[in-house]
Amino acid sequence: MSPGSGTAVRRVRRLRAADFGIVWVTVALFVLLSRTSDVFLTAANLRNVLDQQALLLIAGSALTLTLISGHFDISVSASHINAAIVTALIVNESGSAVAAIAGGVAIGAAVGLLNGVVVAWVRINSFIATLATSFVFYGVGFLLSERSIIRISDRDFSQLARGRSAGVTNATWIAVAVVVVFWVLLERTRFGRHVFAAGGNPEAARLAGVRVEGIVLTSFLLTGAAAGLAGALSASKTLTAQPSDDFSFVFAVLTAVIVGGTSISGGEGAVWRTVFGAFFTAFMLNGFNLHQIDPIIQRLIQGSVILVAVAADNWTRSRRSA
Amino acid sequence: MGGIVPAGSSQTHVELRGVTKRFGGTVALDSVDISVRAGTVHAFVGENGAGKSTAGKILAGVLTPDAGRLLLHGAETAFRSPRAALDRGITMVAQELSLVPSRSVIDNVFLGIESRRGPFVRAAADRFAELVAEYGIGAEPDANVGRLAVAEQQKVEILRALARRAELIVMDEPTARLTSEQAVALRRTVRSLAERGVTVVYVSHFLDEVLAVADDVTILRDGRVIRSGPAADENRRTLIEGIVGRAIEAAFPTRRPRDLPAPVVLRARGLSRAGSFEDVDLEVRAGEIVTLAGLVGSGRSEVLRCIFGADRATAGSMTLDGRPYEPRSPRRAIRDGVAMVPESRKAHGLLPRRSVRENVTLPHLGRFVTAGGFVRTGGERVEADRATTAVGLTGATIASVMAELSGGNQQKSLFARWLVGRPRLFLADEPTRGVDVGAKRGIYDVLVSLAAEGMAVLVVSSELEEVLGLAHRILVMRGGRLVGELDGAAATRTEVMELAFGAAA
Repeated sequence: MSPGSGTAVRRVRRLRAADFGIVWVTVALFVLLSRTSDVFLTAANLRNVLDQQALLLIAGSALTLTLISGHFDISVSASHINAAIVTALIVNESGSAVAAIAGGVAIGAAVGLLNGVVVAWVRINSFIATLATSFVFYGVGFLLSERSIIRISDRDFSQLARGRSAGVTNATWIAVAVVVVFWVLLERTRFGRHVFAAGGNPEAARLAGVRVEGIVLTSFLLTGAAAGLAGALSASKTLTAQPSDDFSFVFAVLTAVIVGGTSISGGEGAVWRTVFGAFFTAFMLNGFNLHQIDPIIQRLIQGSVILVAVAADNWTRSRRSA
Repeated sequence: MGGIVPAGSSQTHVELRGVTKRFGGTVALDSVDISVRAGTVHAFVGENGAGKSTAGKILAGVLTPDAGRLLLHGAETAFRSPRAALDRGITMVAQELSLVPSRSVIDNVFLGIESRRGPFVRAAADRFAELVAEYGIGAEPDANVGRLAVAEQQKVEILRALARRAELIVMDEPTARLTSEQAVALRRTVRSLAERGVTVVYVSHFLDEVLAVADDVTILRDGRVIRSGPAADENRRTLIEGIVGRAIEAAFPTRRPRDLPAPVVLRARGLSRAGSFEDVDLEVRAGEIVTLAGLVGSGRSEVLRCIFGADRATAGSMTLDGRPYEPRSPRRAIRDGVAMVPESRKAHGLLPRRSVRENVTLPHLGRFVTAGGFVRTGGERVEADRATTAVGLTGATIASVMAELSGGNQQKSLFARWLVGRPRLFLADEPTRGVDVGAKRGIYDVLVSLAAEGMAVLVVSSELEEVLGLAHRILVMRGGRLVGELDGAAATRTEVMELAFGAAA
């Protein structure tokens, strides 16, 4: 028994180091950029990077939960866009910032609820289901906004996202709060345990008494609400809201989650991974700009990095199960 | 009764010599010699786990032996893959068919061996017609395979083997999923193959079928060949005796006497689930271990799953501790004090990427959470430690990742999962499958101590020693029905097997 357990311990240690790959590469990129660019390590630049990542982190923390529960949510973009529109409409109508934010979160939650019902109870594949609900809500967005850009007349509303405390924007602080909430939810609560169980082995979870459908539904609901919050903040940031059928936000969020190392097959992942995934991609883009790299080349590199990240993840995973 | 004069001569087609195969700590085949004559139907029989499927899979290149030689037409050879075996004319029709359901019969038959003209697939209708004429196996060429009945799909699988010029086809439990009429039709197909010079290795535990179809029979038990010879020399009784042999004493804890009359914990009346089992009446008392024996597919696991609420019964009623019990979900069953260790720990039991602690406490998190839903990990650790110690988890801790544990420790963890609670009724389906000998004893000890603490324990097992060694009472199922009850202390292997096989001998 003793020689066997010895090798087992060694193997575990090596794999644990590999598990933190995203941390090492993010730190390495940070050091590299600090040395090659004078601008990178300035407070202004870093504050900017933080602020730019805020909305992505809010939606990404929640999407991490949905991915761990074994599902995809493409409708994050639709929730985000609709929430911005609803927020803008409410601000212009009532002048109440609180009602506006609540309205944004509520429309996102409504999208999430619909997704959850369709995926958990009707049992439609989540990728297809959320693609379909995306189109539905893109349409709703055009109807709500009467196909035009909505401008928020109350300029003070921008303070909600752009106002600063301790030198950092409110949007950043809100993102920090959301990250912490989802982190704790996933790592410290019964709900979090059930999310891991539902995504890791749904049948085993059911046989252990987990209400798998309820867990999946709640994950979608939370992701919709978080995407809604992100949308409301974007309305505050730009003082505009515009209908569109653009999927780019959800793909940026997914990129952060997946590069961070949360498994697309469910049951594995962490909010801190998404934080690193977001900062890794943000540093990368920031570095491209600071070094004035051609945007076309940027795309080539960005795509390659995603492939490498997922391939590395697959590779460590297959070695672990071997 | 194998009465047809074998088309095959005494010429040997394929031969295993001294073949040994191990899976982890268990020896599936132990220095086995089997010789299969060309153009005959040769049956491998034995109880579950005797090694008959393993021997078939080695012939077909699905498994490679750890030791020993394989001779094809007298020349030594080795198959590194099913593909390599197929190149030499040997293939297997597995229990789980491997067809492409959305394609036609003809596409499936020629899948991978389409004759091409440039990049285009040539119409294979002529080839198909030739094949059907040559072997006398009919099938509608344009039918969608996914819509066919299992028996028809099996024909497609056989045609596929023949299209590849297979000279020897290994069939693993070919009738396990067929109705009796379909099974008779399959037997005719198998005989006609042999008459046309194809050798068939027929792995089965249906003895009547074997006697009706086979020219030769090899009896396996515990990975060894008991005997090999003409089917005409065997009958049901001789086969059963050969399969069962004398009882091999495994290490079992001493059976504790029950404190009778103990209260009935579970009572089922007329329990049925359409398509799985029918009209099952059973009782399990506090402190009692009841084993549910029978062949694979006889409905035992399905009964357990219904009791646990994993599937819904379609008829019948149950009581738990005298109160009506109608489990609508495993969640309700657990709340009512029922626990189940499922048949497949990988598919239905484990969260492989999570720690032992999380796996063990999963059904009981309610006991460790604060009002806000936070898990108090301190109390959780204490309980997980206690439960894993109680089941004798060795060489791993509650912090270990489940996937990195041995099969035995994984299984013990699943037992520990239920010891965090206080179940009244403990259900275990194949509790020692894929577990090494040492861990087996540990699991038996756990089951016996659970009963000693007053739990009612119901165990499904395909291992006869386990059925006999653990049980106060043995219930035997066959074809979805309970067919007999035996006293655990007095029953013999032969009695259990006769009930399981339906011996009219």
